[in-house]
Amino acid sequence: MSAQKSETGTDPAAEHYAGGVVDDIMVVGVGGQGVIVAAAIVADTALLHGGLEVKLSETRGMSQRGGSVSSHIRIGTQVIAPSISPGEVDYLLAFEASEGLRRAPSVVPGGVAIVNTQQIVPPLASSGEYSYPFDAIARMDDGSRRVIAVDGDALAAKVGDLKVAGVVLVGALSTHLPFAAGTWEQAIARNVPASWLEMNLAAFAAGRGVGEV
Amino acid sequence: MDTLLMLGNEAVARGAWEAGVQVAAAYPGTPSTEIVTNLANYDGVYAEWSTNEKVAYEVAFGAAVGGVRALTAMKSAGASVAADPLISSTYTGICGGLVVVVAGDPGMSSGMTEQDDRYFGRISGMPMLEPADSQECHDFVRLAFELSETHDVPVMVRLSIQTAHQKSIVRVGEQVAVARKDPGRHTDKYCLLPRFSRPLHASLLERIARLREYAEASPLTRVEPGTGAFARIGVISSGAAYISAREALPGATFLKLGVVHPLPLEAIKRFAATVERLFVVEELEPYLEEQILAAGLTVEGKQWFSPLGELTPERVGRGFFAAGLHLPRWAEQKAAEDDSVIPRPPVLCTGCPHRGMATAMKKLDLDVHGDIGCYDLTSLPPVSHMHSAVEMGASIPMEQGFARAGGSKKGSLAVIGDSTFLHSGLTGLLNAVHQRTNVTVLIQDNSITAMTGGQTNPVNEKTLAGAETRPVDLAGICKALGVEHVEIVDPYDYEACLDALKAGLAFGGPAVIITNRPCMLFPRKVGADGVYGVDEELCNACQQCMKLGCPSLHHTEAVFKNRHKVEVDASTCTGCSLCAQLCKPGAIVKAGEA
Repeated sequence: MSAQKSETGTDPAAEHYAGGVVDDIMVVGVGGQGVIVAAAIVADTALLHGGLEVKLSETRGMSQRGGSVSSHIRIGTQVIAPSISPGEVDYLLAFEASEGLRRAPSVVPGGVAIVNTQQIVPPLASSGEYSYPFDAIARMDDGSRRVIAVDGDALAAKVGDLKVAGVVLVGALSTHLPFAAGTWEQAIARNVPASWLEMNLAAFAAGRGVGEV
Repeated sequence: MDTLLMLGNEAVARGAWEAGVQVAAAYPGTPSTEIVTNLANYDGVYAEWSTNEKVAYEVAFGAAVGGVRALTAMKSAGASVAADPLISSTYTGICGGLVVVVAGDPGMSSGMTEQDDRYFGRISGMPMLEPADSQECHDFVRLAFELSETHDVPVMVRLSIQTAHQKSIVRVGEQVAVARKDPGRHTDKYCLLPRFSRPLHASLLERIARLREYAEASPLTRVEPGTGAFARIGVISSGAAYISAREALPGATFLKLGVVHPLPLEAIKRFAATVERLFVVEELEPYLEEQILAAGLTVEGKQWFSPLGELTPERVGRGFFAAGLHLPRWAEQKAAEDDSVIPRPPVLCTGCPHRGMATAMKKLDLDVHGDIGCYDLTSLPPVSHMHSAVEMGASIPMEQGFARAGGSKKGSLAVIGDSTFLHSGLTGLLNAVHQRTNVTVLIQDNSITAMTGGQTNPVNEKTLAGAETRPVDLAGICKALGVEHVEIVDPYDYEACLDALKAGLAFGGPAVIITNRPCMLFPRKVGADGVYGVDEELCNACQQCMKLGCPSLHHTEAVFKNRHKVEVDASTCTGCSLCAQLCKPGAIVKAGEA
């Protein structure tokens, strides 16, 4: 695998990761939302780029049962642990607003949190013991980190199906990392069914538009 | 050579395939499941979901005795189920190589306990390798087959959930051709009668001694020289704990152990002599520490690194910081989560066939002895109704003991799933029949092994290998065991659930109730059969439907008598209709019929 070069012949990733920088990316959401696929796309992008070490720590436990889930991806020239330590997340990609708020303390000061505006109220809210934080995104945006809110559902609906909302969010993350759009698209092709590829690429492009704002 | 990003479990499967494994058998169990799932996809490998871990072990053991390379994989609790053949097969040895993968769960992401599986090495004598990342998962499994045949002993590869469920880069290799060995006939080797097993124990001790010599000189026992301020700090570690320690304390001098049983004590002594301060970093019990102390060395370990849970880099770093090392990165404990946010525990899926019976059992206020399966989620809010859920197959015998102790006023019963019933419930039920113990057993048959992600079991028409097979008749089995009251009930019919429970409890002898709706997710996602909605005018906010704990029911802003009214999320409703059945004012109706 050869490193993708930009048009000017330099490799922005090689420059970015020189000197031992490690990007710590955490994808969070509710079991069943597609967190694992999104994390695989991010990790495969770095792998396809070439010349980098990539480690990923998969969601633990009963992820398919509507619980809170997270995946960690670490990218650099040398990466030791597959999991990110508390307070060291550079990029938080939250598929659900309250899950973003839950993990917000883990973002390094000045880090980036890309948050889907979707809200999924857990059944536990019916107990009356807890209330769902409908102001989650506003609470995250307290100056400790850069918060980018993305209406993933609306953008996904626009390109054809709510199921591709996760790839919209991956698109929004993509402009923050030093990999070429073509590499991201190859990684998406590896991780979605062929019949869904076109719509996923449209979702990626839509998300990429948000990230650039 | 190809370079792939692989899960630890995928790398185990790949390494086994490269080593020429021909038979793989397991019962699914987090975090080990993906090993045999992946092996089933390789050409030339026979892979099966066995009925339980002991059976799986014996199938693999038999294959190895039959002269081919074989593998079995299990979670910690599965190793306990398979402990009998695990120990016996270490005495007998093998013909073809046998590799036993045991994946532990420090931190209990899904396990019932966080037992330290390294002690299986000491109790059985079985040599044990412990990989730290996916490359080592691949390499160590290949090596384990070689060691197994060289030393005539099964070899355990011990994983932690951190190793099994991380992905890292693997340089894979080619498959080697391994011909079947002549199994011969060896009465004195495989018949564990006293006259044969006494010399086999002596032989085992000799084999362990040779394996210790191997470990002393093995490249798996590796010194990694340090640099800078911490170069004179020595750290002995292995597996996932080694990764955490390397992240937490860069620059220290490491003795990285790949063989954790038997331990290379001479190499450890030599290493100790080269450092100023010696730490051992290990998850769970002081397994290494106690053996190192017994060898007469001074070492620091469990006073800094907790025996509880997963040793993350942060927890190891905090331990080194507490031990006085200058580590600004770990100087303060940082929050990973905002604990004030509403918790989101896993819940039964919308339309889950377990929900109707769970609600009915709560309504009747029964004491429920559960087993291991998704229905255990009803021990959590909002259902919160289960008395015990301990281990595979426990429900039916525990209910018998509970009944012998006097039972409970409102009634009690055992609840078990199809896969767990066939794993280890049958013998419990047979015992109830034989002892004439009056118990009621609810088999929540969702026709799949659901909690681990949808693996086949004997109720299915196909095997893991894709072969057509005859599905077992659960009701027929129960009758054949001698149960006289067997009733099949639709768990989407709430009144029928209540009636079946009452009838089972009223029957004067062992009674079995079997539900008959499939899992919503596996083997394929069940689509919606109509969708329900709420007539907000009629809803009196009585909250009966909310007792179901259905993820598709939400409170609205509308309030009646200080209680929120309810709406159905039409995009996720599957039309099971339980909420409508519970709705006294008739506010919940099929969409389009309002």
